[in-house]
Amino acid sequence: MNDLLRGWGFVVSRVLAALVAGAILGAIAGHVWWGVAGTLVVYLGLQLRELWQLDDWLRHRNRRDPPDAGGLWGEIVSLVARLHRRKQFHKQRTLALFRELRRSTALMPDGVVALNAAHEIVWFNRKAGEMLGLRRKVDFGINIASLLRAPEFVRYLAAGQYTASVLVRPRIGEATCFEMQGVPYGEGQMFLLVRDVTRQVQLETMRKDFVANASHELRSPLTVIAGYLEAFAGDTDLPVDLRAPMLEMRRQAERMTAIITDLLELSRLEASDEQVVGAPIDIEALLSLMRKDVAARDDTRAVEVQLESPHDLMGDQGLIHSAFWNLLDNAVKYTPAGAKIVLRWWTDEAGCHFSVIDAGGGISAEHLPRLTERFYRVDPGRARATGGSGLGLAIVRHVMQRHGGELQIESIEGQGSIFTCHFPPLRLVHQNVAIDTDTRYPLTITD
Amino acid sequence: METADLSHHISRRFNEDLEKVRNQVLAMGGFVEQQLARAVTALVEGDSELGQAVAHDDYQVNRMEVSIDEECSRILATRAPAASDLRLIVAIIKAITDLERMGDECEKIGYIASRLATQERPVDKYREVKHLGRVVQTMVHDALDAFARMDPEAALNVARKDRLVDEEYEAIQRQSITFMMEDPRTIRRAIDVMWVVRALERIGDHAKNICEYVIYMVHGKDVRHLRIEDVETELHEQKGAG
Repeated sequence: MNDLLRGWGFVVSRVLAALVAGAILGAIAGHVWWGVAGTLVVYLGLQLRELWQLDDWLRHRNRRDPPDAGGLWGEIVSLVARLHRRKQFHKQRTLALFRELRRSTALMPDGVVALNAAHEIVWFNRKAGEMLGLRRKVDFGINIASLLRAPEFVRYLAAGQYTASVLVRPRIGEATCFEMQGVPYGEGQMFLLVRDVTRQVQLETMRKDFVANASHELRSPLTVIAGYLEAFAGDTDLPVDLRAPMLEMRRQAERMTAIITDLLELSRLEASDEQVVGAPIDIEALLSLMRKDVAARDDTRAVEVQLESPHDLMGDQGLIHSAFWNLLDNAVKYTPAGAKIVLRWWTDEAGCHFSVIDAGGGISAEHLPRLTERFYRVDPGRARATGGSGLGLAIVRHVMQRHGGELQIESIEGQGSIFTCHFPPLRLVHQNVAIDTDTRYPLTITD
Repeated sequence: METADLSHHISRRFNEDLEKVRNQVLAMGGFVEQQLARAVTALVEGDSELGQAVAHDDYQVNRMEVSIDEECSRILATRAPAASDLRLIVAIIKAITDLERMGDECEKIGYIASRLATQERPVDKYREVKHLGRVVQTMVHDALDAFARMDPEAALNVARKDRLVDEEYEAIQRQSITFMMEDPRTIRRAIDVMWVVRALERIGDHAKNICEYVIYMVHGKDVRHLRIEDVETELHEQKGAG
């Protein structure tokens, strides 16, 4: 501020002094105003020259040194020069940072593609170019979905849900498998991260194949063993002390058969992630049939069916039966004799739901999250007595996944459990129900 | 490049419409590519369920064709495009017809694959068909890439491959005839395989058509029904003149 005042004060006083000198010279010559005007013309000329030099320098400031001007102009020139130097410095630093960034991303083990809001390619690193077959410069500005046309990827981009990733097989007929994940930033732009997961996917497939093959191979010898055991058990000549062991062997063979059957079913379910389309399933018929099956096997536990909706379910009949039966079978196993089990079917705006409600011993909270894991046992000793395979709930969970639904387990120790299958609304098959039959619901089927 | 040409329209909406419809075509192409890959896999691996799934999913290709066709009509009616935009729309209308036909051929292969899966598989496990399938799949893929990049050179390269497909087709035909003469019991299967190979050859032709539309779009030259060599000389002459 002081500099400014001093500078301007100096300039103003110098101009005034020059004008006074001009006026005096003019007075001597006899024309005061001519003297003043002459001084102003000279002053203006000098100022214009300074301005010219400044303009010239500003236009070519990258190649020329600042002009050597004094006074106010000198101040301005040095101010501009300082600003220019600072800008130059920042530019260099940003450029260096950018180059560094580009060099480091180029060497990243994963592919990175930068996309703008319209999903057009803005930039990609070397790895992404190699993996996705993108061409530098040529492919800039092209919509990524035009070049990566795998339907699952196109759907992923269109859905705009980038919290999950998507598996893409970009080259048809090859095992190559990429995991792609969008990382949005700014106003609609995003980075697309590409990772080669071919090896992991292959290992996972190998594991699944192994389980399926091993189960399949074990089944034939087991059938032979079970066959002989059955023949021996029916043999009246069998010594008395061998009868009990023979019976136990037969029971264990049956259990092994059950485990292998469930393992095969699980690997069949796991073979695909695709949603099941299926056909309408008559829920009333299905639940009545399940009730009868339990009654035929064991008459001490009453099964009650509560139908609260006339609507049916869209799904795979075999899979749904297997899932519902597994839940009911569990309830029967863990409910004391004489207790009641309720099968409930109802619909609301969240979709359709099926519950199995039992009054068994219940499950303590710490076991609930792990209950659907394979072979997970709440009480290992007891499971062997009831003869379950330990895969039932895993099967239910997979069936629900293939139908876009989920399994919910609620339980209070000592009071009982509720296993509920929630299906999304699009699984609902609306029945045209006449008004008079509408009064049938809620419908309860008991003995 | 063509995409640069697209960017100087006064109406931004028009641009967006054109881009959208182009992306829809390529999404449809991607779906057809997948159908083709699944159909060939179903046949080679004897997967009856997959074959049926392919045949079932063809309705999606048809639906995409109808929706893109409507969109193109709408653009023609409301925007009255000219020059390269008009060529783009015309090329798109033609390309989706070819894509839809490819979808139909895939459906056919799917059906036959699910039927053949129940029968005894030949000793060579459809190796020849698998190989032809690979060539055709690459052709379709490269044709769509050329369409996405508006790259007439790449399109020409794909069109050149069509001759290879025709040769393979001839070879498999001769081989099938030999099989049929050696053992009349294989006639039924051999005829089915012939249908598949024929469908693959047709898909190759449709891919070639798409390449011709790419050349038409970029150079404004109709190169249908010309020999590849003539197309090349014509394009180079044009380049020299331009």
